[in-house]
Amino acid sequence: MPSRIGVYVCHCGTNIAGRVDSEGVARFAAGLKNVAVARDYKFMCSDPGQDMIIKDIREMGLTRVVVASCSPRLHEKTFQKACQRGGLNPFLFQMTCIREHCSWVVADPVEATAKAKTLVAGAVSRVNEHEELYSRVEAVHPDVLVVGGGIAGIQAALDIARSGHKVHLVERGPSIGGHMTQFDKTFPTLDCAACISTPKMVAVAQEPNINLMTMSEAVEVKGYVGNYTARIRTRPRYINEDRCTGCGLCMEKCPKSVPSEFEEGLAKRKAVHRNSPQSVPNTPVIDPASCIYLVKGKCGACKQNCPSEAIDFEQQESFLDVQVGTIVLATGFDILDPTALTQYGFGRYPEVYTGLQFERLNNAVGPTGGKILMKNGQAPESVAIIHCVGSRDKNQHEYCSRVCCMYALKYDHLIKDKIGHQARVFNFYIDMRCFGKGYEEFYRRVQEEGVTFIRGRPSEVTDQTLSAEEDGKLIVVAEDTLLGRPVRVSVDMVVLCTAMQARRDASEVARIFGISQGQDGFFLEEHPKLGPVSTATDGIFLAGTCQGPKDIPDAVAHASGGAGQALSLAARGEVSISPTVSWINPDICVGCKMCVDLCAYSAIEFDERRKVCVINEAMCKGCGSCAGHCPSGAAQVRHFNEKQIFAELEGLSQNVPLVRQPAGVDHL
Amino acid sequence: MQELIATLETQSDPLPGAAFEPAIVAFVCNWCTYTAADLAGTSRMVQSPNVRLVRMMCTGMVDPKYIIKALLGGADAVLVSGCHPGDCHYINGNYKARRRVKLLMEILPRFGIDSRRIKLTWVGASEGNEFAATVNRFAAEIKELGPIDTRRLPLL
Amino acid sequence: MGSIARIEVKDGNPVAALQNFCARLLADSEITAVLAPRQLPGNRGAMPALVAAPEQLHDIDPLAPSFRLNAARMLTRLTRGADDGGLVAALLRPCEVRAFIELCKLNQGSLENTLLVSLDCPGAFSNTDYPRFAANSGDTWSLVQFLGTSGRGTHGGIEIARACCTCEHTTGAEADLSIGLFGQDVEKGLLLMANTPRGEGFMTRLGLPEATDDGSRDKALEALLAERRAAQELMFAETTAATSDMTGLSQFLSACVNCYNCRAACPVCYCKECVFLTDVFEHKPWQYLSWARQRGALKMPTDTVFFHLTRLAHMSTACVGCGQCSNACPNGVPVMELFKTIAAATQKAFEYEAGRDPGEAPPLSVFREREFPELTGGLD
Repeated sequence: MPSRIGVYVCHCGTNIAGRVDSEGVARFAAGLKNVAVARDYKFMCSDPGQDMIIKDIREMGLTRVVVASCSPRLHEKTFQKACQRGGLNPFLFQMTCIREHCSWVVADPVEATAKAKTLVAGAVSRVNEHEELYSRVEAVHPDVLVVGGGIAGIQAALDIARSGHKVHLVERGPSIGGHMTQFDKTFPTLDCAACISTPKMVAVAQEPNINLMTMSEAVEVKGYVGNYTARIRTRPRYINEDRCTGCGLCMEKCPKSVPSEFEEGLAKRKAVHRNSPQSVPNTPVIDPASCIYLVKGKCGACKQNCPSEAIDFEQQESFLDVQVGTIVLATGFDILDPTALTQYGFGRYPEVYTGLQFERLNNAVGPTGGKILMKNGQAPESVAIIHCVGSRDKNQHEYCSRVCCMYALKYDHLIKDKIGHQARVFNFYIDMRCFGKGYEEFYRRVQEEGVTFIRGRPSEVTDQTLSAEEDGKLIVVAEDTLLGRPVRVSVDMVVLCTAMQARRDASEVARIFGISQGQDGFFLEEHPKLGPVSTATDGIFLAGTCQGPKDIPDAVAHASGGAGQALSLAARGEVSISPTVSWINPDICVGCKMCVDLCAYSAIEFDERRKVCVINEAMCKGCGSCAGHCPSGAAQVRHFNEKQIFAELEGLSQNVPLVRQPAGVDHL
Repeated sequence: MQELIATLETQSDPLPGAAFEPAIVAFVCNWCTYTAADLAGTSRMVQSPNVRLVRMMCTGMVDPKYIIKALLGGADAVLVSGCHPGDCHYINGNYKARRRVKLLMEILPRFGIDSRRIKLTWVGASEGNEFAATVNRFAAEIKELGPIDTRRLPLL
Repeated sequence: MGSIARIEVKDGNPVAALQNFCARLLADSEITAVLAPRQLPGNRGAMPALVAAPEQLHDIDPLAPSFRLNAARMLTRLTRGADDGGLVAALLRPCEVRAFIELCKLNQGSLENTLLVSLDCPGAFSNTDYPRFAANSGDTWSLVQFLGTSGRGTHGGIEIARACCTCEHTTGAEADLSIGLFGQDVEKGLLLMANTPRGEGFMTRLGLPEATDDGSRDKALEALLAERRAAQELMFAETTAATSDMTGLSQFLSACVNCYNCRAACPVCYCKECVFLTDVFEHKPWQYLSWARQRGALKMPTDTVFFHLTRLAHMSTACVGCGQCSNACPNGVPVMELFKTIAAATQKAFEYEAGRDPGEAPPLSVFREREFPELTGGLD
């Protein structure tokens, strides 16, 4: 039965009608095949406009509706709902944009009207081929998986847990807290990092709705929004967490010392170790790579001395599958290793430090007990702080790491505060970016403390001296771009503000969770402005620096955002799944499996019994990678199938001016 | 019987000597180029009226048949435009589209369909100005090339 | 370079020697059946037969210059799925081997379940020409003469099919075993070469006398390939000139009646149902009339050029140039010329060669993040 189409052409006040003859477009539409009624109206999106559609559907028995107005990105849903209210399946509707793509951009009214007619012809032709589709509703599992136990993961886990939902918090390391526990003070308020992070860590440990899994990673994720199954691998700690009292005797007795990762190599730790006494959990961990017993089978000093028999060398890697509805990724960042930037001499000159190392030098439980000391035990008289090391650098990372200016200012202050006013501090910066709440004020304060700012990226740090004054010093060579002249500054110590970068295994994590990375390697948000915590994969959200460099307040805010998004799904308990996904016709599919490889979401499986490929509609996003290839047309995206696109092309090309040939000539 | 298209007074039969107005079909992805086109509209960036957008969810769903059909069915040129590499809303649909366009570029120009009539571009959601510039450049280029051969041929 | 053995030819009859070779294969406990061309009654050519009983090998004729269908599709039916059949030894032309490899990539057959034996291929006559050749030259002497020319020249006034004249894949080193004819005195003996571990295993078990490579095959091959490549270049140039615009292309295809025989005969057109036979291409009467009104006249049937262009897009990267499309065309459309010319271009563009390597992914099934910058004006 031929369809009965209603076409509605909007004036949008004068936005459309000022350039396009909306009435003329409606008259034109009325002459198109299968069009039962065509009207124009001042504002189609208004209530009377929508009522007009609803009334026509009911009274004229319309089976298809076309609206020509603004972009479907604005009002497609509005009109789909109107159709639904009129009793028509919302997918029997097609919208075409004659405002953004026509009246607003075509200067000549005649041309604009002609283009609008063409677009309407395309939509009318296409809507003939539309089919009824129905959204599915799926239950959402109430539990949430949070991956990463830094400050962002902690914040997200606490927010979710406090709403009453259960959280599985997975942390790769032996303790939660992340990079923040390595810091000393935090800018711009100078409150101590441990003082503000420790209560949060303890709250996690004490929160009954949080299942904390340290030494753990998600290794496989299956499913789709509302129904994810994550396989968690837990590496052995070799110490029974339930028995251990955290007394620390094992660490005292352990004979083996190795450089400490937590101290950024500035101090040693034992083979059995823990980051700090405030670690959560506070159970130490035995490092199998350095433990004498685990390497050679001899020693066992810890085991002999443990008063609670908590040491267990027999612990094995274990796996656990958790069911969750949504996932929050808070996997954090890595610090760029500045060794590759050889001009700064990191690794070559002992008094060149990374920012994180300098944090440890300031930390009261760090290698120097919180004193800023050189390797020789003396306090430096002068310090150079080089900003943007690896950031804003075409050869490393083009982006700004967003925290370095502020922590450099914090270092300026700490040096003045701890060593004394006589200590000279030189900042080599490109631009000072102090954009946050209280940041500019802090900048002003530090400037007033007598710190020197030199605008220019140093070309090198060297020990090649040119004068006796420079002997025994490190010389920072740069151009002061404000004065336009070269400078050489000799100092005792150099601190490199190294870039924050994506985790080295970010691509592996992206693969496991089925999300993408931006060109900078950080996880890609759904929209840079309006979707900064969601991802293109429904039900997977981002928290903190895994999405891009952030300071602590931004990371915490971002994490709360991610938690909120996860919660809104979890609390609702159900999710509507779009029907505009792919479908493979089993009568046509020849089982070549090409689509299986092309699918970026692993949403296609091969049915061994029927020898055909089958779409898992819950995992399919409707991108059409399969349909775009499938030569037999067995794979089709619903609402974007071949017949629909062909029909649209027919409509769009109908009024292409064709040069007529006299009949009978050129019959080939 | 009703026609699919009622005869247009001004369009179907251009006056002899009238300037050639190409018909260009653009398959654009919903997330990047279609959004850029919206932005170009909101920003009132004047564009030549020759380009008609076919909204796809992703360039990865552009079957080579669609491009062939458009070029045989009277379109003077086809634009395929999606997200920049690495920015695809569907992870990598644009890379698959690029291979399919590459394939057609090896086939169709051999039959006299000028390779300039098939264009692949990456226009991100925020690049309204780039979208308008692409449309205007492309339309100008095709105007200069003249009508496609297939318009004359009663083949399909 | 794998090991080489000799297949002895007795009484100057290489066909009998190959029947005997098939019998040896059948005698192997691992081989369930042999797929090989068998003579049809009345000089009508050869068709593949699946022979399980050695006494049925008498009409097997792998050397007949008849190529009624590309047996790759047949072999997929014997090998697809799992291991429920048994090993089939298949005696194939090189283009059949390469088509089979393409089909295996498309999950249509399995290399696991077959022992591929490829014969040096001098070419074959078209389906219409073969009976004429056989009527005049159906005896062993004529066959030996034909093999001696490696397919060159005319035989009873007839040339081999153009697909074969322009074929640069006359040997099948992709198969487990190859049988060497070129440069050999086929009345005395043929070469058997192992190319894969599976081939080596069978070589040992078949117990054939060892042979050495005296270079005569390579030399003969080199000379033949030079001629074939020259013929190919000429064909490409002619076809390119004839189809250099849409008018040319539509003239080239003007006799097409949409019978789709070419796609049915094409070994790598593997769809169960061609999209052109689905309702996507079922137009309504008013559509035809509307098209006719727009253009003034409409060629009927419609969609012929569309069909061929789409088929080029679908399978030219997998085309092995066997020429069965032209063989199957009832109206003499030079389909092979067109497809082979385009296939050479599309395969080159993706640095791909159909059937060369089972591990090489079909070009449209993969992508690289950075490639073809020329498409987007040098921008990634």
